[in-house]
Parts: sequence; structure tokens; C-alpha cells
Amino acid sequence: MTYKKISYEIKDNVAYIGLGHNDHKAMIVIDEDLLVDLEKAVGELSKDIAKLKGMILFSHNPNVFAAGADINIISSFKDENEAAAGAAKGQAVFNLIEDLKIHTVACVDGVCLGGGLELALVCDTILVSDNPKTSLGLPEVQLGLIPGFGGTYRLPKKLGLPTSLDLILSGKKLNAKRAKKYGIASEVYPSERLLDMATKHLSDRPKKSTLKKSLTGFASSNFITKKIFFQKAREAVLKKTMGLYQAPLKIINVLEEGDFDNRKNYLNSEASAFGELCMSEQSRNLRHLFFLMEGAKKFDGDKGSSDTAKNFKRGAALGAGTMGGGITWLMADNAMMPIMKDLEQSALELGLKQSSAIFSGAKKRKKIDKATFIRKQRSITPQLSYSGFKNVDLIIEAVVENIDIKKKVFAELEEQISDNCIVASNTSALSINEMASTFKKSNRFAGLHFFNPVNRMPLVEIITHDRVAPETVYALYQWCLKVKKTPIVVKDAPGFLVNRILVPYISEAFYLAQEGVPIIDIERACLNFGMPMGPFRLSDEVGLDVGIKIGKILQEGLGERFVLPQFTYKLVGDGFLGKKNNRGLYTYSSDGKEDGLNEAIDKYLTTNKVKMDEIEIQMRVFLPMINEAASILEEGIVKTPGEVDLGLIFGIGFPPFRGGILRYADSEGLDRILGAIERFSKDVSNTRYAPSAYLKKLVEEKRTFY
Amino acid sequence: MREVFLVEAKRTPQVKSGMDLKDIEAPYLGAYLLRHILDAHTLSNDHIDEVIFGNIGTPAKYPNLGRVIALEAGLHKKTSAYTVNRNCASGMEALSQAYLKIATGRGDLIFAGGVESMSLLPLIFGRKMTDLFVTLMKAKSFPAKLKALSAFRPPHLAPVVAIKQGLTDPICGLDMGQTAELLSRELNITRLDQDQFANESHKKTVASQARGAFDDEIVPIIVGEKLDKMLTKDIGPRSNSSVEGLAKMRPFFDRKSGTVTIGNSCPVTDGGSAILLASKEAVKKYNLEPMAKMVDYHFHGLEPQRMGMGPLLAIDGVLKRTKLKLSDMDLVEINEAFAAQVLAVQKGLKDQDVAKKFGVDTVWGEVPESKLNVNGGGIALGHPVGSTGSRLVVTLAHELKRRKAKYGLASLCIGGGQGGAVIIENLQK
Repeated sequence: MTYKKISYEIKDNVAYIGLGHNDHKAMIVIDEDLLVDLEKAVGELSKDIAKLKGMILFSHNPNVFAAGADINIISSFKDENEAAAGAAKGQAVFNLIEDLKIHTVACVDGVCLGGGLELALVCDTILVSDNPKTSLGLPEVQLGLIPGFGGTYRLPKKLGLPTSLDLILSGKKLNAKRAKKYGIASEVYPSERLLDMATKHLSDRPKKSTLKKSLTGFASSNFITKKIFFQKAREAVLKKTMGLYQAPLKIINVLEEGDFDNRKNYLNSEASAFGELCMSEQSRNLRHLFFLMEGAKKFDGDKGSSDTAKNFKRGAALGAGTMGGGITWLMADNAMMPIMKDLEQSALELGLKQSSAIFSGAKKRKKIDKATFIRKQRSITPQLSYSGFKNVDLIIEAVVENIDIKKKVFAELEEQISDNCIVASNTSALSINEMASTFKKSNRFAGLHFFNPVNRMPLVEIITHDRVAPETVYALYQWCLKVKKTPIVVKDAPGFLVNRILVPYISEAFYLAQEGVPIIDIERACLNFGMPMGPFRLSDEVGLDVGIKIGKILQEGLGERFVLPQFTYKLVGDGFLGKKNNRGLYTYSSDGKEDGLNEAIDKYLTTNKVKMDEIEIQMRVFLPMINEAASILEEGIVKTPGEVDLGLIFGIGFPPFRGGILRYADSEGLDRILGAIERFSKDVSNTRYAPSAYLKKLVEEKRTFY
Repeated sequence: MREVFLVEAKRTPQVKSGMDLKDIEAPYLGAYLLRHILDAHTLSNDHIDEVIFGNIGTPAKYPNLGRVIALEAGLHKKTSAYTVNRNCASGMEALSQAYLKIATGRGDLIFAGGVESMSLLPLIFGRKMTDLFVTLMKAKSFPAKLKALSAFRPPHLAPVVAIKQGLTDPICGLDMGQTAELLSRELNITRLDQDQFANESHKKTVASQARGAFDDEIVPIIVGEKLDKMLTKDIGPRSNSSVEGLAKMRPFFDRKSGTVTIGNSCPVTDGGSAILLASKEAVKKYNLEPMAKMVDYHFHGLEPQRMGMGPLLAIDGVLKRTKLKLSDMDLVEINEAFAAQVLAVQKGLKDQDVAKKFGVDTVWGEVPESKLNVNGGGIALGHPVGSTGSRLVVTLAHELKRRKAKYGLASLCIGGGQGGAVIIENLQK
């Protein structure tokens, strides 16, 4: 018998099935070949069943058990039936393993997610290795899917309903230790010992159920408690997702209505739910996003003369404000022992506070322990001088957003650093080309635009300029990946990528308010569209003064379409700056919690309120974004529509289930989009809604962004 | 023997125990100093041959503090590192070992220093409670465990205070304050002399603080419960100190007839210090600009109950070894463990009878006030025991530099009956 993807052998009366045999890919995925192989192996094994003590399922790849079903296959299904049949095929093979009359053990050493975990779950015992790569979970929900290979059947059987529902709905990944704590794994062993120890577990008997377990078991099978439990779960999901995501609700339905006493019936319902979700627009969009993210993990630009990217060992942040403190935190968290320089001790303390707050948050969430917090926070060197800057190979500047000050700082800085040090500016809108001109060695310089808060926003815009060395861009890109950020390479132009698309959106929201549309209606329309916060709330977060500054830069660089409504200037003049001074479109309590809309704003707006349809509001604010994104593509600020979509999702939280703004535009139909823009151009403003030439061209040629 | 250079000398702010540095574990009182010194001289983390740190109250968690300091500082894993303990002179012992190693060609760049978190010195379970735990752990069966437990009596819980035990001499049974009382009785050092000396220490330190004399030697340290504040100055020196105020304090170590008070002794303190030493080759290779040259050192023992006189013997020894005279010294630092003890040393230096009593055959002459502890000393600045030996040299090196002077001598008494002394020569003219 020959196998393509697995190894099969019998040793000392134990059958060994090894995944990833002959597979040189970094990730082992569950595909057609693997399923065929597994079926064959079970067939062969059944012949010898009488003399076998058990079966051990393991992986030849030290860092991956199985990473789940091949997403390309999922995307290739043509309709719900085909997708459901695909799931059923996997279920059938998995059932064969489950039905084996011998004891089966899965040895998980590395990634074991989605279909991988569903495969492990068919074994009687799961053992995990202490490999830091070991991670178990069912993340299907994040792709808008339901686990389709029996995961929603077997996990609850093993862990009980409450725990398993939490795992399936969150898509949470567990490390080895937690997998044992949750009860998925029976034991944790060192990687090297995993297979040896597995033979000792071949005689494991199912553990006696504990009192707590039988109580929860009783509660979840009891008709009334079950009903309450699922109702609570549904409420929690609705609250968290505002009802915008289908998959979690579908998962709850399957688990609630599923017949856990009849495997065949249950798995049928799971497969058909999988088929349904697989074909949903949402899942397609989320899978699209998944591929965009995977794509961003590879640098496909010019690497210059470098084979491998320069590795930054030691970092420094210039300026210890909110961003400087956040960047210092990022470096400290990544063992770069950062130097943080500012002009005053009080400023340094603000930066320390910023970093400390982020570490404390991680400590509270039990991501790090106290000793790690102390070590990392103490690895920061706060100082007023340039001492040690020659030991640093990456400097990120985050001083005040003033081009003259920045230029002065860079001229001074370049005297203090070593020849191969790379310098980046965290400016959010100032010209990178102009800053570059102050450098003697301008090829070492680029923009590196982080979003606030640094620890939560994954996006980083790498801003190039005319004289930047490709090696610089490559090194920065690889560094961003290393510190778990999502980088996008953007050409230097006013507002770069994200702010240039964000400003028209926020600006238009303010125009709507000026026209008399109640702020609360605008906020709600945007939230219902899926934005994580409304445009006014976001303005408060960014700071209205900052917004105006960026608006001005855009207006000067790109024209009248970026003129902000008059009353925004008045607001800033009267001290409405946003969250930073607890005085913005909203009011805030002393601990920074939002306290509702600020009534003091009303007097800046007309008393003649306009009732506007929600969809009309959404079109008014989102169409200018699409229009601007089209111009950006035309000017080549970024290369692909995927980068625009990734930028907006990770930079401002554009709803992931829509797959990005351009994918959304494509799905709505560009002709309809253009039509609406043209209508607004007539009815609202012919500068702000002047249709992009590129958008027109696409419509003319009947093409889409993608 | 090769020449040995002091490239850089830095310290933490020194803070009375239980205050700003109280939660900082000993390694963190040293590691950041090393990082700072490497940075200031653009040295890379793999240039250092060895790290030697003095410490007395070794935390159970860090049996070899020196190595922890080296790694927390980000030094290369290959860097050899260890911890030394010569009681109050541990920092000086570290320095001396680094000196010897470089002088004999066993290393070219060595960090020496000391750290002490006296705030974090533990309370220890007494012997009886410890024995009970041991029996309990050995007991296998439930009845045996019960039996072991039944031996428990509430007084077992009375802790042994490590710091108190550490400050009591195991041979003569006197605590350090009592050894100072002994010197004051035998050499007739009055309460007023001591209080005046203590008051001067505060006045000098406060004045030095005001003119920023310590700014170059202190590296600000991150403090605060959330680690978001910076401490740049020593906490302990009192600007409102007065002889009258000091006179009001009750004797602490001999409550009835004594003269040594908390006010004329050094306070229990947290702090650290670090010095980078280099060979001539390393100075050239890395283009360093040394502050000073280490000339030599000497340690000497005497009876434990008169340990405060240790500096007399150590100074005598180091001067003889180097063939220098006390009058060659432009500055002298004698650690102020107790005012009585520094005054006793002064007597020993100028008074032949006293010197003879301690086996010293040379009258070296008194150190003039203008040279002795010019920035104050331990009474105002405190005495983080593991660090002071190197801290004295840090302060000395910076003051010599400021004065463009030549020789400086640092000396201190050592619990257990020893003295240590180091001579350095300033190169920053």
C-alpha cells in the first residue's frame, strides 16, 4: 500500500500514522489526498486489529500537527451542497478512526487548528508537547465558518457545552498548558518524549466524571437550563457583534438543535450549516481578508542587494509622547532594550507611563507575569542625551508634528548615530521627502506610520521617498512582521494611504451634522455598517486639533475636496479637542470613559434637524472613501486594491466581514457606486464628490477593483 | 603587572530603606548601570570579559547575582560573571578582583560594582519552625503528618530578622553599633563630637546636591509602583539637620550610657554602583577615555569588636604598598558607618599611642577637613552595604575629576573586623 501524505507502520503491535510524510510544505493541511490516505490506513489497520494494542497519530513536521482544512479547497466549492458534501466526506473518514476498536492517541507537537484539532479529537487521548508553537483551537468562526469535520460534536462531548461553546465562538487558541487545563489534552510532555510517552497512554481509560462535570452535564442537557444557556449565549454574541456576523449565531443554532445522542444526525446538521456559511458573502470576505493577510507576510518589493533583511537588535524612540511611549513599549516587548529620549524628565515619565500602562494591561489579562513586566519595563532607558545612540540600529522619531522641528531633530540626530543605523519617522501626515532632504545619508530614512494605540492597531504604513534604499524598506518591512504588525509600503503623498481615505469619511460626517442630520443618527448608521466606532467618537479619539492639522495638509497637497466644514475649526478654537482634554463631541468621565454626546456642541449646529435615511447617510460617508481610494490606486500610492483594503481594516477597523472597502465597492457594483457619486456631485458638492477618473474608467471598461 | 584604568563609574541614587527603591530587586539596581556605561562608550554587549558584583544579603532567588546583573544588562551570554561577599567591602572586593585580573592579563574589560537592597532582606523562619517543615515533608502517612504538625507551637512563628542577624558579629556577639560604642569609650569620643560630625555630613551632602555635584555619577532609575517615574537624587540627606536636633536622639545600641544614636550612624539604605575597568590595550582598542587609574588596594584584619578602626590598618597598608604618603592624597573618602568610628580612625592616623595600640607603626597625620568626605558620606547618603565599597570610588573619581586633582583614597570598615582601602589617580586634567 502506498501513501502520498502519510506514513503508516506497525511497531511493537502499535500502529503509527504520521502526518506530513513526504510533505515539504511549512503547513500540513487537510486535503483530499490526506483524507484518502487516512481512509486507506484505517482499512489496512482493521485487518490487523486483533493483535494491535492501539494506534498513535502524530506528525513528522516538528512545528505543525495539522493546520486545518485547505482554505483554497473551501473557496473552490461551487454551491452549498458541494460544500456540505466536502465536510461530510471528512466527517466520514474521521468517523472511521473514531470507531476503531483499539485505543487511539493523538500526539500534538505544534499547530493544531481547525480541521487539525477536529482530527485529534476523534482520538481517545490527546497528548500535547511543550513546544511554544503548540496551539489548539477551532478558529473557523474567524473565517465566517463553522467547524465542519465534527468539531462542534466532539468538543462539547469532551468538555461540556459551556466551555466548548466559548472556544468555538471565540476561535481562541490554547497553548499546551491551557489545553490541558481546559481538558482537551490529557498530558503535556517535552517534544522529544511525546511519542515514547504516547505508548504509555494506550491503556488509558476514560476518566471518572467529577461532580462539577456531571452537574454541568446535567444542566446542559436539562431542557430549561439549556434554553436559558443558549439564550444567554445568543445575547452575548449579539451584543458583541451587533448582530453583524452570521457564523456565531449559526454555530449556536447547530449546537442547540443538534442531537448529541445521534452522531449521524448531528454531523449532517453540522455539514449543512458548513455548506451554508461557506457560500455566504461574509465568509468569502473573511477568507479574502485571510489571504490578504497571508500575502502581507511576504515582502514582494525590491530587496536591493540584501539577501536577508538587516536585523534590528537595539532600538530607540525619539520623543516620549503617546506614540513615542507606545513605540518604546513595542521595542521593549520585543527585547530591543530601547532608549527613549526626550527633552524633559516629565516627558520621559509620560512615555514610561504609556509603556507601563500597556504592559500592565497585558499583566491583567495574564498574558505576562509580574517578573516579565518588571524586566521589560526596566529594559527601557529613559534619557535626555544622545548617549548610546551609536549602539542603536533602529530609531523611530515621534516628536511633535512640526516639519521644522523634525528637520532640526534629524540634522542633530545624524551626527549621533552609526553609519548603518536606520531612521524612521512616525509622522502621520508630514512630507517624508522633505524630511529625507535633511539627511546626509537619506537612503537610510523612511516613514513608519504607526496607528494609535500602538499595541492594539496592527497596521504600519512604511512610507518611501525618492532616495530611500530598497534595503531600508525591506529591513523595516521584516521588522514590522517580526513585531507582529501588518506593514504596507506606501509612496509619500499627503495623508499617505489610510488618513487620506479616512479624512473624507470623517469630514463628510461633519458636513452631514452641519446640514442638520443628528450626530447620533450618523454615528448609528456607521456602527450599523460595522465600523468599530462612529466618526465623531473616532475624531475625539484622534483629537480634533490633529484632525484639522491633517485636513490642512491634505487640502494644501490635494485640493479643495479636503476642505473641512467651518464649524470644526470653531470647535477646535473653542477648546473642543476630544478625549485628550475630556472635551469633544462626547463628554468623558475623569477615568476616560465615554459619557454620552456633548450637549455643548449643539449650539454650533443648526436647530433645523434633518431626518435622513440610514442608507443615505452611509452612502454619503462611505462613497467619498471609495472615490479617494480609486485616486490613490490611480496615482500608484499603493500597488494593489488588497493593500487599500488591508490598510483600512487594520488601520481604522473597517468591518472585516465586508472584506475591505474596495471589495465592498466591487460587490455593490462600481456602476451603481459611480452613479451615486455623480448624484451627490450634483446635489451636495461637486468638489467633494467629483468622481475619480480611475473609477470612471473602470466602469467604462466594465472592470472591478480586483 | 599591567596598568588598570577606570573607564566609567556610576551609581544609583541612594535611598533610605523602605522608600523609593524598596521594591527594586537587587539585580535591577545594577543591570541598568552596566547598560548605561556600555552605551555611553559605544561598547557592544560582547566586549566585556567579566562581571564581578558585591552583595551581602544574597536574595534566595538569585544565588549568583553577578550573572543575573550581566544578563539583565543585555551582556552576551558568554560573559563570565560572579558575586563576591566581603561584607561591607563587597563592592571594593569586586573592584580589587577586577584590578588583579586586568593587571595580571586575565581580562581586559571588567565590570565591578555592588548592589544592596536592604529593604528586601527577608524575615526567616526560626530553626524550630524549619525543623517542623522538614519533618512534615518527610512524613508519608496521614497520622505521621498529623504527629509532625502537633509539634507546632505559636512561638515557632517568631521570625528571625535577617538584617538584624547580619549586623551582629558572630564571634564577639556585638552588633555593629556596639562596636562603635566600644571605640567611643576607649578613645574618649564624645557624643557632641559625633553629633557635630554627623551634622557636617548632612550639610556637606545637601550643599553638594544643591550644586549638582552628584549629577554626573548618578544614573536616574525607574521607580514607582507602575515603574513610570524617574528618581534622579539621593533620598536621605537632611537639609534641616542640626546639632541640637541630633542631641535630642536617644542612644540606640547602649540605651543607658551610650553615645551612638541613629542620628550619628548611617541609615539602612538601598543602592548600587558600577565601575568599568580596562587594560591599556582595551583603552586603545575601543578608543576609550579613562577617568582614572587604579593604583592599588589593601585589605587588613583586626579584632571584630573594634571593626570600625579597620580603615586605619587598610590605609596604612595601601600607603606602604604604594610608597605614597597620606599627604599625597588630594581627597580621602572614609565610609561613615558611624561618626564615632570615623573619628576613631582620624585619631589613629595622628596619634602614635592609638596607632600603636592597633599595631600601626607609622603616624600618617590627620586628614584635613578640606580633603575628607567633601561631599558628605554614609551618615547622610546611607550605606547600602554591598555597594558602598565601590560607591566610594565612584564618588571619589568624579570629585577628583571635578577638582582636576591627582590622588584619591577610599577606605571603609568591614563588619567582622577588617578594613579596606583603594587608591586611584585621576587622569582627567
